[in-house]
Amino acid sequence: MNPSRGKAEAARRLRDTIAAQFGRSLHIRTLDTGSCAVCEQEIRLLAAPHYDLQRLGFFFTPAPRHADLLLVTGPMIRAFDVAARKTYEAMPGPKVVVATGACALGGVYPKDPFVHGNVGEVLPVDVWIPGCPPSPLALLQGLGVAVGRLAERTPGLTFIAGPAADGGEA
Amino acid sequence: MNPLDILYGAGGAWLAAAVTGLLAGSWRPGLRACCGLSALAGAAATGAGGWSLVYGDTRVVAPGPATITGGPLQLQMTSLAGVFVALLGIVAVAIALYVPRYHEPSRGTGVYLAACNLALLACLAVLAAGGMVTFLVSWETMSLACYLIILRHPRSGETARGAFWFLALSEIGFLLVVAAFVIVSAKTHATELDVIAARGHLVPGGWRAAAYLLALTGFGFKAGLVPLHVWLPEAHPVAPADGSAFLSGVVVKLGTYGIALFAFRLVPAAGSWPGLVTMGAGAVSAAIGILYALRERDIKRFLAYSTIENTGIIVTAFGAAMVFHAYRLSALSAFLLIAGLYHVANHGCYKTLLFLEAGVVEHATGTRDMDRLGGLVHRLPRSTVIAFVGTLGIAALPPLNGFVSEWLIFQGLFQGFRTGSHLTAILIVLAAATLGLTGGLAIYAFVRGFGIPYLGMPRTPKAAAAREPGQPVAGPALLAVACAALAVGAPVMLGALSRTAHTVTGTSLGPLLLPGKLTVIPAHTNFSAFSPTYLTVFLVAACAVPALIYLAGRPRAASVSVPVWDGGMVSFRPRMQYSAMTFSAPTRVTFDALYRPSVSVRRASDDDPAGRSGPVHYEAQVTPVFDRYLYRPVIRAVEWLADAIRPMQSGDVNLYLLYVFLVILLAYLLGAV
Amino acid sequence: MPLWFVRGLRRGVVTTRYPARRDDSAAWLPTPPAFRSRQLTREAADRMVAVCPSLALSRRDDILVFDVGACTACGWCAEAAPDVVTSSGEFELAATVRSALIKEIPIQGDEP
Repeated sequence: MNPSRGKAEAARRLRDTIAAQFGRSLHIRTLDTGSCAVCEQEIRLLAAPHYDLQRLGFFFTPAPRHADLLLVTGPMIRAFDVAARKTYEAMPGPKVVVATGACALGGVYPKDPFVHGNVGEVLPVDVWIPGCPPSPLALLQGLGVAVGRLAERTPGLTFIAGPAADGGEA
Repeated sequence: MNPLDILYGAGGAWLAAAVTGLLAGSWRPGLRACCGLSALAGAAATGAGGWSLVYGDTRVVAPGPATITGGPLQLQMTSLAGVFVALLGIVAVAIALYVPRYHEPSRGTGVYLAACNLALLACLAVLAAGGMVTFLVSWETMSLACYLIILRHPRSGETARGAFWFLALSEIGFLLVVAAFVIVSAKTHATELDVIAARGHLVPGGWRAAAYLLALTGFGFKAGLVPLHVWLPEAHPVAPADGSAFLSGVVVKLGTYGIALFAFRLVPAAGSWPGLVTMGAGAVSAAIGILYALRERDIKRFLAYSTIENTGIIVTAFGAAMVFHAYRLSALSAFLLIAGLYHVANHGCYKTLLFLEAGVVEHATGTRDMDRLGGLVHRLPRSTVIAFVGTLGIAALPPLNGFVSEWLIFQGLFQGFRTGSHLTAILIVLAAATLGLTGGLAIYAFVRGFGIPYLGMPRTPKAAAAREPGQPVAGPALLAVACAALAVGAPVMLGALSRTAHTVTGTSLGPLLLPGKLTVIPAHTNFSAFSPTYLTVFLVAACAVPALIYLAGRPRAASVSVPVWDGGMVSFRPRMQYSAMTFSAPTRVTFDALYRPSVSVRRASDDDPAGRSGPVHYEAQVTPVFDRYLYRPVIRAVEWLADAIRPMQSGDVNLYLLYVFLVILLAYLLGAV
Repeated sequence: MPLWFVRGLRRGVVTTRYPARRDDSAAWLPTPPAFRSRQLTREAADRMVAVCPSLALSRRDDILVFDVGACTACGWCAEAAPDVVTSSGEFELAATVRSALIKEIPIQGDEP
């Protein structure tokens, strides 16, 4: 479902379509492609009472056949290629892929014979959530962006701070 | 023209087929000729049986040619035997259609076919016997012919053992049956079955009971009542598929025919306890049969134990009919007799079908072990469909015939409260509960028996190599059609059987069984009702609803076809599927006390000094309870007795002369007295 | 069981109202750095690039390329150049396009 890279406008249209379908009820399947499992701990906290995923209409499911969204962590080790592709293909469309964690986004582990480094090499990723690990709040924001309930803020951030003040958003 | 003339024709054709088989069995045309004659005879027998069901009152006694005993060969065609004769006919036709593609023409096949047709003839003679001697001679001929059938492939000690168990238990049963017949014949001073039945009141109560118990045990050996059943799982796997089919489909039913003959015609009991004993024996057989079936990997042993289960169901129905008769509830008694006979016909059809299909599987893959099969639905599609029909029937699932007959039996048993005696009612309820357990376990067992070999992926290359062309299809297909016909045409069948019941018990059910054209009620209008025809139509229509929904609301987007979700594994191996033994593991755990499995586990790491891991061997053996605790002691006692008597045969001439002298002395003394 | 229920009632609702309302605990989250462009020298940039363990920083001429997606918020760049780096406080960083997470920070500290 992911259009070829660079077509942000098409992606936005797609997001609107998905938001109409998924906005109120979304089933998430997590996929660990070789992470250190701290991202998984943060993801697991989402279901705990403090963050409570289910009040927003999101649910975890182990079966890809029932899933709408694939939440991928880990640097995509090469040994996991087949399983990742099979999981992605087993999900019925429309489906969304969210990569989360610094490893999955290409940091920490460069590409080498054992590791792709970037989940986007194997799966078509729709939303990227940085963090190491991403806090549950960041994950909630990312999921909200993925279903179109929240607006993306990253394009507007510059990470350039003023001379003497704290914070650095423009 | 009466059924007996048709039977003469059928008998003659089978005799001709036997001779043809013996002489010309080594050539393919000879084989086909033999099978053709056999099929003709089968069709004639079906016709005769059906005729005698429809025109139930036809009962002709015709003195035939003289037998070796000097008396006339007495034949008659009763309507009780009518069901069995019709079943015999249909099974014969199916097997005759099956044999040409299954057996290779050879000398051994010729002898085998001769034995088969002789056995068919002997079965016909048993069913058409009008006199005691005819019955017994035909019975023994049938046993011997079946022994030859089992010995078709004497390539291993296993075959000899299976055949020997069959013969030994047949002979013991025959002895008891002879004793039973001798008792009733001596007391009524007659050898014709009709006369014995008419003079039944001359037999005093104690002798009646003894005769009935002897008959129950003697025929129980043949029918397969527990604990007299041990020959079934030994003999069925080693016999060729059509031989096993014949054994389970017809020969075992003849045992139940014998029980019904004694229970309803010759020595109908005044008290209820013979019926209760019969019912109890049947219920126990049913439960134990299916429980042992769940531990079998060999398809034929599994089906053999299932035969024991179904015999138990039939005998339970007959026993309950006897109980109701003793309490003067003649409508219910007739109803359960009808139900039992209907189950005889149904089981004969689908069990024969399943054995023939087991033969096809063995022929195509070379193995009978369920854990080595799998995926046959893709390789043997027609056989799978036919086997599926048989499985639906035997698991008693609507809309097929097994469901109808088991429904009838249950409805009859549920009305045990009408007897008025608390003890009897409780015992009948217990029998019904046992049959309920059996029914549930039967579904479980046959999901396993159909799913593991036919569905899924092939577990071994042998299973993957199975090919459809050249496999026999016509015979099993005929039986599948018969199963469906027995289901949808249940009202017709029940109408015919109610005429049989009228002839046998003197009670006419008529509107108490079939109030409308298509509805069946269990002998009382206020209990329950059910229509097999409407049920079939409804189920077929219900299957059409999802199809219609799909067609109407078909998704417009292109659909993608991806492999089955297997957890993302890189290579999914067929051995990762359910195996037959793991599927039935819950019963092993629950009924551990019955199976008493002896488990041995050997780990390669036990032997290795460094404790390195390696293959683990797991072996679980069900304790052969009846063999060890019933038969072995009897065999040991007989051997001990023989050893004790052996000194008499010392070989010493002087001792023998002493024996002669003593006997002469005894004769003088007796003469003087 | 009843004790647990009563205890829970006394504590009240602990669920966060995010994203409808701000969550106060967000103030304690480790977040990616923000850079003071005016104080960023080439030499400081090179020091930070050398020390970053997750390949998030690299220098291209007069631009410090900062990959927010690769940043683990470890703080080593802050130790290497304390006057340049400050915490950005941003944790809502989801992006639909990967390139939106690659930020360019002009190196303006060398100019007089």
